Amino acid sequence: MSESLLGMPPARVLADLGEGCVILTVDASMYPQHAVYAAAYCFIARCYVWLDRAEPEAFRVVLTAKQPTDAEGLRALAGEFSNELLASAWRREITRLNRGLIESVTMQAFGGAMGPPSLDDLEAFDFSDEPFDDPLGIAQSWEDKYRKPKPGAETGAETGAAVAAETDPQGGAAT
Amino acid sequence: MTLRFHRALYAGTAIDAALGRFAQLANTGFDRREEVDHFVVEVTASSEARAKKIAHELANFALGLTIEQGGPDR
Repeated sequence: MSESLLGMPPARVLADLGEGCVILTVDASMYPQHAVYAAAYCFIARCYVWLDRAEPEAFRVVLTAKQPTDAEGLRALAGEFSNELLASAWRREITRLNRGLIESVTMQAFGGAMGPPSLDDLEAFDFSDEPFDDPLGIAQSWEDKYRKPKPGAETGAETGAAVAAETDPQGGAAT
Repeated sequence: MTLRFHRALYAGTAIDAALGRFAQLANTGFDRREEVDHFVVEVTASSEARAKKIAHELANFALGLTIEQGGPDR
């Protein structure tokens, strides 16, 4: 005999206390099949997981506890499965959105693992190309970028003026 | 006890592999047949409780193999 669980939507979550199972209806338009698989896989060790198609656009997930449990335990099971389902669906979406970046990083990693270039590669390499273009100075070290001048240090212009004064015979300073 | 595995969710090869693994159980019988949308497995054992437990374990095993192979057969 199925009944609703406290705090759970009755149209989506039902419990059968006699069988010790909870029945969830999952909207297939919100949760892809692989997200349901991922969530189900996490629960295989804890309970018996049964998947079915409730209707064309919905999955039915039946979780049967391996150990006898009460309504509170079934409610926790349903809640944890729902959380895992949401996390799986979101992880899958993040992976989809970042596919280009993941592929790029993976390719770079494999490229680095291929080892150093051969002599033929070096011979074919175009060294005339600018090695690095850094107009904003992003690659410059913090020390170089924000180095304070020393208190007694002279600038180039001041040094040049002093040398000129020393060599000028009419200046009177040089002897 | 009857198990009805939906074809869109379970791989037939995974069910066969699970049946092969469970076939060694003593005093237990499995009868597999196919319907339009389902693979159907009848589990018989010395008692109803034992048949139910074996059916649950068989379903879990088949689901795990299906997920590990990436979904149902194409």
